[in-house]
Amino acid sequence: MSEGTAPNAAPVPTGAVPRRRHRQGRAVPYLLILPAFLLAALIILWPLATITNISLHDVNRFGQLRGFSGMANFSELWRDPDFIATLWRTLIWTVGVVGGTLILSVPIALVLNRDFHGRALARVIIMLPWSVSVTMTAVVWRWALNGESGMLNSALRAGGVTDTNIVWLASAATAFPIQIGIGILVSIPFTVTVFLAGLSSVPEDIYEAASLEGASDWQQLRTITLPMLRPFITLAVVLNVIYVFNSFPIIWVLTQGGPANTTDILVTYLYKLAFRFGQMGQAAGVSIIMFAILMAFTLLYVRLVAKNEAQS
Amino acid sequence: MSLKMRRTIIAWALMGPVAVVILFPFAVMLITALKPADEVLEPHWWPRNPQWSNFVAMWKATNFGPALINSLLVSGISTLLAVAVSVPAAYALARMPFRGKGAFRQFLLISQMLSPIVLVLGLFQLVVTLGLLDSKLSIILVYAAFAIAFATWLLQSYFTTIPRDLEEAAWIEGASRATAIRTVFLPLALPAVAVTCIFTFVQAWNEFVLALTLLRSQESYTLPIQIFSLVAGRYTIEWNYVMAAALVATVPVAIVFAVMQRHLVRGLASGAVK
Amino acid sequence: MKKISCLASGIALAAVASMAQAGDVRISVTEYSSKTGPYFQKMAKQFEEANPDIKINVEVTPWDVMLQKLTTDIAGNANADLAIIGTRWLLDFVEQDIAEPLDGYIDDEFRGRFIETFLSPSVMDDKIYGLPVAASARAMYYNKSLFEQAGIDAPPETWDELKEDAKKISDLGDGIAGYGLQGKEIETDVYFYYPMWSYGGNILNDDGTSGFGSEAAIQAATMYKSLIDEGLTQDGPTAYSREDVQNLFKQGKVGMMISAPFLANQIKEEAPDLQYGITAIPAGPDGDRGTYGVTDSIIMFGNSENKDEAWKFLDYLFTQEPRSEFTLGEGFLPVNKAVSEEPAFTENEDLKAFAKVLPDARFAPVVNGWEEIADVASSALQRVYLGQATPEEALSRAAEEANRILGK
Repeated sequence: MSEGTAPNAAPVPTGAVPRRRHRQGRAVPYLLILPAFLLAALIILWPLATITNISLHDVNRFGQLRGFSGMANFSELWRDPDFIATLWRTLIWTVGVVGGTLILSVPIALVLNRDFHGRALARVIIMLPWSVSVTMTAVVWRWALNGESGMLNSALRAGGVTDTNIVWLASAATAFPIQIGIGILVSIPFTVTVFLAGLSSVPEDIYEAASLEGASDWQQLRTITLPMLRPFITLAVVLNVIYVFNSFPIIWVLTQGGPANTTDILVTYLYKLAFRFGQMGQAAGVSIIMFAILMAFTLLYVRLVAKNEAQS
Repeated sequence: MSLKMRRTIIAWALMGPVAVVILFPFAVMLITALKPADEVLEPHWWPRNPQWSNFVAMWKATNFGPALINSLLVSGISTLLAVAVSVPAAYALARMPFRGKGAFRQFLLISQMLSPIVLVLGLFQLVVTLGLLDSKLSIILVYAAFAIAFATWLLQSYFTTIPRDLEEAAWIEGASRATAIRTVFLPLALPAVAVTCIFTFVQAWNEFVLALTLLRSQESYTLPIQIFSLVAGRYTIEWNYVMAAALVATVPVAIVFAVMQRHLVRGLASGAVK
Repeated sequence: MKKISCLASGIALAAVASMAQAGDVRISVTEYSSKTGPYFQKMAKQFEEANPDIKINVEVTPWDVMLQKLTTDIAGNANADLAIIGTRWLLDFVEQDIAEPLDGYIDDEFRGRFIETFLSPSVMDDKIYGLPVAASARAMYYNKSLFEQAGIDAPPETWDELKEDAKKISDLGDGIAGYGLQGKEIETDVYFYYPMWSYGGNILNDDGTSGFGSEAAIQAATMYKSLIDEGLTQDGPTAYSREDVQNLFKQGKVGMMISAPFLANQIKEEAPDLQYGITAIPAGPDGDRGTYGVTDSIIMFGNSENKDEAWKFLDYLFTQEPRSEFTLGEGFLPVNKAVSEEPAFTENEDLKAFAKVLPDARFAPVVNGWEEIADVASSALQRVYLGQATPEEALSRAAEEANRILGK
């Protein structure tokens, strides 16, 4: 690269680069993003193309193409009542986990942002679920939720909460809420971290000024803290929706979508189609539909947030 | 009572229930890990006859050592790779105007939307085409690729908070742009780079589905699949070993969190989210 | 740019390193227990010592993900030379020309090593496509101490007797249930076929349609549902997989359950004080009985480039000593005649009980989409057990769905 001297000594306004440099180095930003782009494109776009191709073909159970079939895999899916039910349940799952995570994470972050005795310890505890793979967390919970030899029942009995063993995973009425709860638990560390970051970017003097003007804690929260947190909440919503919507281990390990498909979500349904029933074409179709739903959601949500921000 | 004392009581009253639920599975792991084989199925809490030797036996029975080394290698190298490609990309996004910036950002977001399990078939075929089946390099590449989006986002939002003036002052003194980046910018960016490393490392450390598909032989297994293979469809499951293994696999990451949590938050606190 | 070329050369290097040498044989095995991996490693080593020009690479995969791994392997054209598969999956492998017929390698001596019952499920169109490596059948385990406490002197002969005995055992209280009923995950359907067979039903009718809607099937489901409603099974059977019910049995919390020979091995290690017996699955009113026979087979892939070497290894694996070690270690039934005559098996009371029920053994039907049909049946049963549907409703709907999958 040419040894560059800035053409003038005046501070350059943010976002602009000295003109001469700009012309010479037009390729530079592209060179800088190239490695990241190539690696991500290779690993993500190639498989996406494969999946799209499979979804449009008649394939055998080993993923070997047997002939073009157009939209047949998709129309087969729409005819399956289990698929439609699963679609709705995925919505409940995603809204439940992401909503629950947000509702818990905001106050937790607020508490952890203030100084108190043992705060470092509390922060580490909140981070802990992150240190175990979600699959293992699910395995541990399955073990703990066992009706007869599960330690949750024995803990509840010892604590006097119940005096009979509850068979948590016997029906969706108890199993699904528990799965959502575990989903919330493993999403909290990431979300709280994002919110703590947001809170620490709020300058202290704003609060001091507000206090001087006699604003109560509650008013400060509503008028200063939450608005400042908004971009972080947007980020947490988008990323959590993507992760939770695609999350496989909790439901698979605890119930495999059962009993009688009443806890299936799209990912577990896809897994069964692909690797148990050998319906590769339909499974690829589900992948594409899931991808489309997430795309639509993200675009819509980001646009909505942008519009709201422009208004306020 | 001091103000801080009162805050402490309120804080722990609020945090208490959450902490209990979070710690519960860890307690289950520890206690089950300590039970001898004939007590494992009994739901009582404290084992009558705690067997600390289970940890030693587990280490041997589960082939823990090699898997631990694999996990460290895979997570470490993929983190380095992800950061190495994300730092320049984030620098370009934060500092340089260029056509297609928005498109590149969107591409990164899209790359987050595909869950590994959705892509598993295609990924596998890609890895076979590259001739990397059962090579640790395959999951290193894949982990790095999946980490790029988040790493780039994190880095670029931190980079925008580093004042441009400092770099420009260096140019005026005759330094080339590359030198300015090396001597002025990178040292300031280090906290964000460190945090990005932690995030990426933890993701790779815990990843499961891809490792299961792309690694073939026990010699290349990482910890999550090594542990999972103890419970998946065996006719008999040695729960005490499983829990001991899960717990030990947690320790390194938990320590990193304990040491780094302050930096974690600071690294994320990068002013505005872009 | 340097980075990229570095990466590229890294890829090239690894590609070279992972290329298999000629004469290498890759075998994918499923993990039955912690002993499986070490067993196959040991066999590979012994074989390599005798055949220094052949190298055996063993890949161990957990059972639950074996089908996924095989699928991705085959889709990516990167499968091993040999693999253990559930024999019930074999049809797909044969129809898609993935499994290699082995008749060209098998002579009379080799064929004569096997017990015919266990070899026959691997035979399709008169060709042998797989060699049974693991075999089991199911029989009823009962807890002798609980039977004694409840004042019952012999295990039940019929399902009616089973219900009476279950009632007496459940009356002992203390959270003890008479009959352990599996209602979750793999083989939930099988647990229901036992009484269905006893009542004279079949999975498939003679014309190839589903038998789930038959009178016998409804009777069996109704009987199970009445056990649940009268509190004669553990609470919430839909939360209990086979392993979970086995754990209840080991803890002495259920009086009876139906399972495979390997449960006896586990009891010896985990609950050595448990007094148990093994008997035939109860009969129906007309004396019909059925038990489920399962085999897993080793297949050779049609695209293998080292078939002769792979066969040599198979030939070694199916000699008496390796077979004996595997079968004893994992707690399966012998598939080799010579092994079945060893004292370790002939003098084992538990295995004798299983040998006795073998004539009643039925195997999973050889039809396309069997896994999906089994899932349909399991879901229907779960609805019955949960009280979300009557046996008639659930099972006739299951029969319709099964017929759709069968194309009938």
